[in-house]
Amino acid sequence: MNVNGMKYGAHLLRFADFPTPEILGSDASEEEIRDLIERHGAVFVKPVFKGGVGKKGKAGLIGRAKDLKTALAEKERLYFVEHRHGNQVSKSNGVTFEAAVPAEHEIYFSITDSTEFRAPTMTLTHMGGMDIEELDKSLVARVPFDPLTGLKAFVVANALADIGAPKQVISPLVQHLPRLWELYHDFGMTTLELNPIRMRPDRRGRLTPVACDFKCGFDRDDPRWHRLNLPLHLFATDYSDFEQEINQLRTHQGQSDVYVINEGGTILAPTFGGGANSLVTEMLGDDAIISSDFGGNPPYEKMKTVASICFKHWLRQSNVLFIIGGKSNNTDIFETFRAMSDALREHFASHGPTPLYVVAGRGGPNLVRGLGVLRDTCEALGLPYRLFGFDSAMSEVVDYAREANEWMKAGGRDAVAQRLRIAPAASAA
Amino acid sequence: MYRQGAGDFKYYVGINSLAQIATRHDRVCVLNILGGESSEVTPVGHAWSGGNVVFGTSPGRRGQVLETPIGNIPVYNSVREGLDDGHRFNCGVVYLPPAAARDGVAELIRVNPELKKIFIITEKIAVHDAREIRAMGQQHGIDIFGANCLGVADAWNQVRIGGALGGDNPSDTLRRGSIAVLSNSGGFTTTIAQYLRMAGWGTTTLVSSGKDVYIHYAAPEFAFALANDARSKAAVLYCEPGGYYERDAEFTKPVVACVVGRWKSKLTRAVGHAGAMAGGEDDAAAKERWFMDKFGVDGIYTPERPVFSAKGAVVTNIAHIPAALTAVMRANATLPDFEPEGTMELKPWFGSGMGLSLPPQLDVPVVEAMAPYGSQIAALAKQVGAVFPRASMKDTSGASQLDPATQVASLHGMRVLDAAGLPLEANVALALLHEPGGDNDRKLVAVAVGACLNLHGDPALAAAEAARAAGSAPNAVLAAALTIAGPRRAETARNIAAAFVERFAAAGLRDALSADFDCSALADDAEFTALVRAPSADARAEAMLAGLAARGAQSAFVRFLQQLDGPVSADAVLAAITTTLGWGPLMRKRVSRLTVECLPWWMQLIGAMIGASAPAAAHEAGSFCGVGEAELLGEASLTELACRALLGRAPAEADLFALQTLIGIMLTNGPGTISAQGAKGAVSADGPEVPQRVQLNKALVGFLSHTGYAHGGNGFEGVQFLIEQFRDTGLDDPAAANGIDVAALARRCAEDYANYKAARRAAGSAELRKIPGVNHPVFKDRPVNLDPREVFIRELMSARGEANVFHDFYHALVHALHEAGVSRTVYCVNIDAVIAALLLRLTWQPWRAGEVGEAALESAAFTLFLYARMLGCAAEIDDHLNRGRNMDTRTPASKCRFVS
Repeated sequence: MNVNGMKYGAHLLRFADFPTPEILGSDASEEEIRDLIERHGAVFVKPVFKGGVGKKGKAGLIGRAKDLKTALAEKERLYFVEHRHGNQVSKSNGVTFEAAVPAEHEIYFSITDSTEFRAPTMTLTHMGGMDIEELDKSLVARVPFDPLTGLKAFVVANALADIGAPKQVISPLVQHLPRLWELYHDFGMTTLELNPIRMRPDRRGRLTPVACDFKCGFDRDDPRWHRLNLPLHLFATDYSDFEQEINQLRTHQGQSDVYVINEGGTILAPTFGGGANSLVTEMLGDDAIISSDFGGNPPYEKMKTVASICFKHWLRQSNVLFIIGGKSNNTDIFETFRAMSDALREHFASHGPTPLYVVAGRGGPNLVRGLGVLRDTCEALGLPYRLFGFDSAMSEVVDYAREANEWMKAGGRDAVAQRLRIAPAASAA
Repeated sequence: MYRQGAGDFKYYVGINSLAQIATRHDRVCVLNILGGESSEVTPVGHAWSGGNVVFGTSPGRRGQVLETPIGNIPVYNSVREGLDDGHRFNCGVVYLPPAAARDGVAELIRVNPELKKIFIITEKIAVHDAREIRAMGQQHGIDIFGANCLGVADAWNQVRIGGALGGDNPSDTLRRGSIAVLSNSGGFTTTIAQYLRMAGWGTTTLVSSGKDVYIHYAAPEFAFALANDARSKAAVLYCEPGGYYERDAEFTKPVVACVVGRWKSKLTRAVGHAGAMAGGEDDAAAKERWFMDKFGVDGIYTPERPVFSAKGAVVTNIAHIPAALTAVMRANATLPDFEPEGTMELKPWFGSGMGLSLPPQLDVPVVEAMAPYGSQIAALAKQVGAVFPRASMKDTSGASQLDPATQVASLHGMRVLDAAGLPLEANVALALLHEPGGDNDRKLVAVAVGACLNLHGDPALAAAEAARAAGSAPNAVLAAALTIAGPRRAETARNIAAAFVERFAAAGLRDALSADFDCSALADDAEFTALVRAPSADARAEAMLAGLAARGAQSAFVRFLQQLDGPVSADAVLAAITTTLGWGPLMRKRVSRLTVECLPWWMQLIGAMIGASAPAAAHEAGSFCGVGEAELLGEASLTELACRALLGRAPAEADLFALQTLIGIMLTNGPGTISAQGAKGAVSADGPEVPQRVQLNKALVGFLSHTGYAHGGNGFEGVQFLIEQFRDTGLDDPAAANGIDVAALARRCAEDYANYKAARRAAGSAELRKIPGVNHPVFKDRPVNLDPREVFIRELMSARGEANVFHDFYHALVHALHEAGVSRTVYCVNIDAVIAALLLRLTWQPWRAGEVGEAALESAAFTLFLYARMLGCAAEIDDHLNRGRNMDTRTPASKCRFVS
């Protein structure tokens, strides 16, 4: 849940009364753009990405224009530009025209929760506008502070003094930066980064910090961001239809976290527990369709709904239904397995049978009854299965599921289809 | 910002040694103790820890208690109230919902100056709140564990605080030993302890740290406390990506670190653990490197390439932890704590290849599970029949449904149209056993129900007769009889059925028709045989056995009774028959044990209902409706007997077909019908959660009381309409309508109706009498409309060469109505018309002969509906009994309306 760029950044910074350059959106008329260039000398043309996208400048995705013709050419270049950063590929949809802010000083500022200090931590340098990692550590202040009192002016002042910031930037920054804490803390953010903040001189040479780029991340578990009235589509691209359906069930009782790993995968693995999730996604790799955590003792109804959604989206292409978790502490195995079994039975009833190899590995309260229900369901549906207790190493069970997947690919699927009396064509994965 | 505690940390740490994390001296207060999770796990932890919870809070619930195996834990509205009552504690456990967790921490800290430790189980706490929680703990010198964790446990002290480490039986997993565990995953804390135990390593202190962004008790302070704990010789760490906690930990004792999540660097969003999302230099690869540097090793430990030093080893698979630990400890000249308790190789507890040829690596043989699971599995094998989840069954059914597109209802997956092709016996089986069964089943049903038809000398018959004489409608007449067929009448047969299921399942019977199943051992079971024996010869039992023999019915249960010396009771024979019927579905888990145990009662009720529909004079000693007992039990079909009860005469072949077809089509119309609602309401009111108390006879009375002249009796409207049309035609035999011009009759009717309609219009009236049996709200709008149910029956009839002039008339009528301009399109002939045509086909001749009046016709039409719906509702009742909750059919007051 990230927001980047000034299109929405400017809107958010208004909550902290933090100055931003004048900005026009994609729909700005040529007159408006020309006017903006005339008043500010130049504009930056930036693509609008959803989500968290970094290193745009390095990738050459920021255009600068001193005349309308260049500005429009840059708009055309950047409007639907693609950007690859790490594993993420983002596609822009629109541009902003941002008034250039002439400045001598560029500041980098961020707040994030540091696991080193275990406190909210400000990172600040007067050598902004570039990669913070490339700077000498003595030029960067990283200062944890007390969240109960917040980011105080003296914290900023001391930090700027420690890194030897030029005198003229200190006072305006000490005045403006602490306000950003309110934005960060009161609206459910987990990171907030302004880079660069350009120090714009007024006629008398007094400097005003102007945020020229914006990035923030919101905490999915914190409803405070709803107060900002951000359009929901900003975050919608993060989720597939399937994920959104599951996410609607997200409550504190029972996890229901999913992530689609490979839409062409052939192992459907409802996984229980964050630990199991890490192990299983690691070992299954691209064979897995989803990465999931359904632990946390979900009640029967919720588990059944979650399973039904999974089956609806993925069962047809699955070779192996692989239910896996460690030895649960609290999650009732009977309830959860009964829910999944019922969902499977109902899915077969409404969508017809599909060839499947069922593998499960689990431990916890009511284990035998839970495995018993799954066994009965497999027997009733005519599906081959192997069910393991917690005394088989989880990784061995994962390997077993992979073996089953390989066998299904190599003719097993057709054999199961034949056993279920369904045409092989209908069974094709 | 913080107080200096133990060690020289740049933040407050109070715990000096792992031995101090969970001790027998700790006293615990649990916030939201009555919440869903806490109320399940707190009693287990409390009992295992010798009673460490002094009280809990739950606002508004002061005075309640949380029951535990070693006594009740008091509950207060708030922490202050508990303290005011004299309780003291040093540990707080937070089970509050995420939005309330921070305030709970504040309450604990501010109200109780003796507080030392807080354990936060709550997951999905906002980072905003986590940072404030951290700051509060730091300011006041409190150690916090979690959040999003499963608490801590100490195998030496046998104490668990917060959460559920070790599950519902902690001693199964937590055996005293020398290894401390710190894990980002609560589930894996227990799993790792289990794995270690299998390899001969016990545990000391186990800390589930959670994996939020803020981990309040993390690796650096764990390492410090590990060093100071004399009991712990080494530690196992389970780490996920994200956070710099492990980098800053300084270990002085051997450690096996399991680092997972390399693959996760591909993900762009956390799944499961909120903090397990690497931002950059704290991903899984970085964590592996940190540990490798600490241990002085250059690779990951795997069984193929065991890389380790005396300082430790890094694994990426939790299954490798025990072997890596054993290797590291051997390098420290230390042997496991005890003999290994098992291996971690693949051991399927359940499995089947379903007859497919599996490769050897998949065809791993099923093994007997470790204790105590092996005996649980053995007990499971003894459990027979399906177990259905209980839920609110209001307007919901596991038995019937109506397809909105075709308007065809189905019962247990069989369309009523298909059921119309089955004899009555098969529909009895379909309703109660979820499948129509085979030839043998029909013979068994015929004897079981047949034996209950004759009510001669039974007060139920007198009750029915009295109700009839008083002018009650057929439904009330039958209800009068059924109220007398109460549970005590079925009790013995029901107990015998239960004993049959118990004994024969244990003896391993699979096929109830088996002719060579050896039941000699059961014959020696004195308690069992006493149940089935009769003190002296039981004529009814003998007649039933003779009937079964005459029909050639097979049953291992009946054979068992026949092998016993001496007479057996009629209840025993009935139970033997019904258990035979139920055995296959029971073994295939199609039906529950409860259903099979109720079958004898059902047979009695169905018999009583059909029986009571015949007048008292038809019940004589030794014969029913003129059929002698030997023929009744040994030969006659149930369809035939029902026909006799209904018509008072020997039925012709066409009558049997009409009756069978009508019963099939009218079996059910889904759970929304009034009759089904009445039946379900009656079960719901008795409380299906204690199924033994549900009165099946009363449930049928519920169905009967929810039928009437508008629902069930309305079949007569069509009959009346047809009589009007055919009254003066001189029709003798509806199957051979010689000399009757059906088309002309239909034209006349259509013209009459067109005139009537015009007259009403002219009079300005919008209220029009409708012609029963034509048109349907779903099957309309085409130039020529067809009701698929009617089409099905028509085709069925023509295949049998059955003619029915009334049915033909209806077809002519819809066309005539169109031609006369009454309808824009050709209406469909609907299912009500089919029913009316068939009904009148059954009763036309006696009516023509003046043997029965219109009232009797109406009564017959209504009774036939009741026969059919009796079966449909029996299915609903049995379904609700198995799946429903007490009082689940009630409507909340908020959804009820008042009108004045």
